[in-house]
Amino acid sequence: MEGEEDYGVSEEEEYIYADDGDSLDGLADNDDSALQWAPPKVITKESLLAAQWEDLQRVMDVLSLKEHHARTLLIHYRWDVEKLLAVLVEKGKSCLFTESGVTVVENLEHDMPLTSSSTITCDICIEDTSGDNATRMECGHCFCNDCWTEHFIIKINEGQSRRIQCMAHRCSAICDEAIVRNLVRRRHPDLAEKFDRFLLESYIEDNKMVKWCPSTPHCGNAIRVEEDEFCEVECSCGLQFCFSCLSEAHSPCSCLMWERWSKKCHDESETVNWITVHTKPCPKCHKPVEKNGGCNLVSCICGQSFCWVCGGATGRDHTWSRIAGHSCGRYKEDREKQTERAKRDLYRYMHYHNRFKAHTDSFKLESKLKESILDKVSIAEERELRLKDFSWVTNGLNRLFRSRRVLSYSYPFAFYMFGEEFFKDEMTDEEREIKKNLFEDQQEQLESNVEKLSMFLEEPFQQFNQDKVMEIRMRVINVSVIIDQLCQKMYECIESDLLGSLHLGTHHIAPYKSKGIERASELSSCRNTKLGSTDEYLPCGGTLECDRPSGSGSSDDSGCSYRKRAKKEGGGFFDLNLPAEIVDRN
Amino acid sequence: MQASRARLFKEYKEVQREKVADPDIQLVCDDTNIFKWTALIKGPSETPFEGGVFQLVFSVPEQYPLQPPQVRFLTKIFHPNVHFKTGEICLDILKNAWSPAWTLQSVCRAIIALMAHPEPDSPLNCDSGNLLRSGDVRGYQSMARMYTRLAASPKKG
Repeated sequence: MEGEEDYGVSEEEEYIYADDGDSLDGLADNDDSALQWAPPKVITKESLLAAQWEDLQRVMDVLSLKEHHARTLLIHYRWDVEKLLAVLVEKGKSCLFTESGVTVVENLEHDMPLTSSSTITCDICIEDTSGDNATRMECGHCFCNDCWTEHFIIKINEGQSRRIQCMAHRCSAICDEAIVRNLVRRRHPDLAEKFDRFLLESYIEDNKMVKWCPSTPHCGNAIRVEEDEFCEVECSCGLQFCFSCLSEAHSPCSCLMWERWSKKCHDESETVNWITVHTKPCPKCHKPVEKNGGCNLVSCICGQSFCWVCGGATGRDHTWSRIAGHSCGRYKEDREKQTERAKRDLYRYMHYHNRFKAHTDSFKLESKLKESILDKVSIAEERELRLKDFSWVTNGLNRLFRSRRVLSYSYPFAFYMFGEEFFKDEMTDEEREIKKNLFEDQQEQLESNVEKLSMFLEEPFQQFNQDKVMEIRMRVINVSVIIDQLCQKMYECIESDLLGSLHLGTHHIAPYKSKGIERASELSSCRNTKLGSTDEYLPCGGTLECDRPSGSGSSDDSGCSYRKRAKKEGGGFFDLNLPAEIVDRN
Repeated sequence: MQASRARLFKEYKEVQREKVADPDIQLVCDDTNIFKWTALIKGPSETPFEGGVFQLVFSVPEQYPLQPPQVRFLTKIFHPNVHFKTGEICLDILKNAWSPAWTLQSVCRAIIALMAHPEPDSPLNCDSGNLLRSGDVRGYQSMARMYTRLAASPKKG
């Protein structure tokens, strides 16, 4: 995962840079775990077969099974090979097989051979038919081909392609997919294709480590994560998303927080809240009425007068001592408290929402800024300066985008972290106050550095002289390093100090990646890259042949790694977050 | 559709042949529509349904036998797995455990078996299910017997 550039920056000399132009980026890879981390993989239409094949192969090897048996087992165990093997160890082979509906018959000798001369009575249509017009499944049950075909067609249309059971009573054996395919193809070739697609897509739909990319219009890809399902990924189509909840990447907010937050912002439920706090419904026309001053005898535009204190209708006459037709002198403390609370909640929400929105807006504006800054870079590059390399500008920009996002999502996080919705009884007010101060300090530091970086990058450095360019470069690099560390610290603080003792179970937060959201690497679309020869492992009966993309198995496509991509995109020395529009353009 | 017709015709012939073999079940096909059947079944002995004759109606779908027939009681019956008002039957082989190897005749046999062995944990008739689940077998039996006598017994003289 090391970039092409030599960082040359050790932890100790972060802030002091040798002025030799080598250590330009100042983004030390301080995350050692990144080296062991297996990156998520993009599964395209072409590589789906290969991805599925890896798992099938493992199960086939361990249990020495045929492909369709392995598939039946894996579909039953939702493509969790580890789980399947655990059951094998725990309960044994035969239990594993019967639970999943796999029947492996060792010898079929005792059964009558089906030839054109033999006659068989099909129990379904109760017709006699010749043996070559009937099929015996592995479970031993034999019916005529017409009845089998009808059965398969009905099951495929019912969406049960992945588990078509034998027709015999109380027989839970899963039908051999090759037989299904061949029989259905004779009557409905397109339905047979549909059947194959269902089987293939089971790998995505029944598998918790694989999910469709949520892009609209759909890019056709799926993403497979290797270890942790709580992470943020970028599909090869450029969309960045949270793998766990499939919405936009939202760390350091947890999925649950983000879901509530977006719903809250979307519903404007707080507007309703405002209305309840500041208005009262007219007792006659029921429109909300706001009191804009004066005494507690309020008139609605419909002409009705009512008492602001209790909301009851009154007459028009009003004296110092009493309102005509009405008396409610009693002060209700409860209600007052309720109103106060609603008001406080609203202001609290507005506080966090305004900041969240401000940073999101800045992020959008800065995305536009990228182009003009890159123009400045090209102007500067044409000048005769000693410094030729302007990669620090791009790196700085990417750092800015990344940290802007962290900053904006840190507000909804704080809203829930220190609010009452999730953690009301989890900590005392005192603890909450301490944690809140801790977090807000960090947030503040990050915020001021992000603004600083934004300011530096906006300077007209293309017109500066040599020394001033060097100076601003140093500043950008230094601030970038500081920001990276602050982000890192904020995530650590959330994990260990804030959520550490609390409901970590329900609030998983995607870990911070210094280099930005991980771009999923392309999965090789070639089956069996490891074993070399594909012929040996063709599915029995030449099935799935029609699905295999021709020529897509070339080794050139395989291993299109992050490094290669980075080069393609030009100037991107680091795999940092680019805003989606910019990725599109590339 | 042709297949279902052919199969039902075969079943019809089979029923005619087996009539004597199984006196508890009397399966009759509608004169004008082979997809409509009725059956008279005898309440199994040593159950509160003993002595009663219950009428079932079958509505056979065109995809039969790949899809199950719809069956309901026409005679009122107090049983945990039969809807008290509509006569709908909650039986796995009529839903997801259906196998095309079943016939209308065997469905009748399965229903007789269900009458003898109710499954109170998946009740359509909650009152009846609750009696059994709370262990009040006597209460259940006397209710069931009463309805058998009221609704399912042949009129005497």
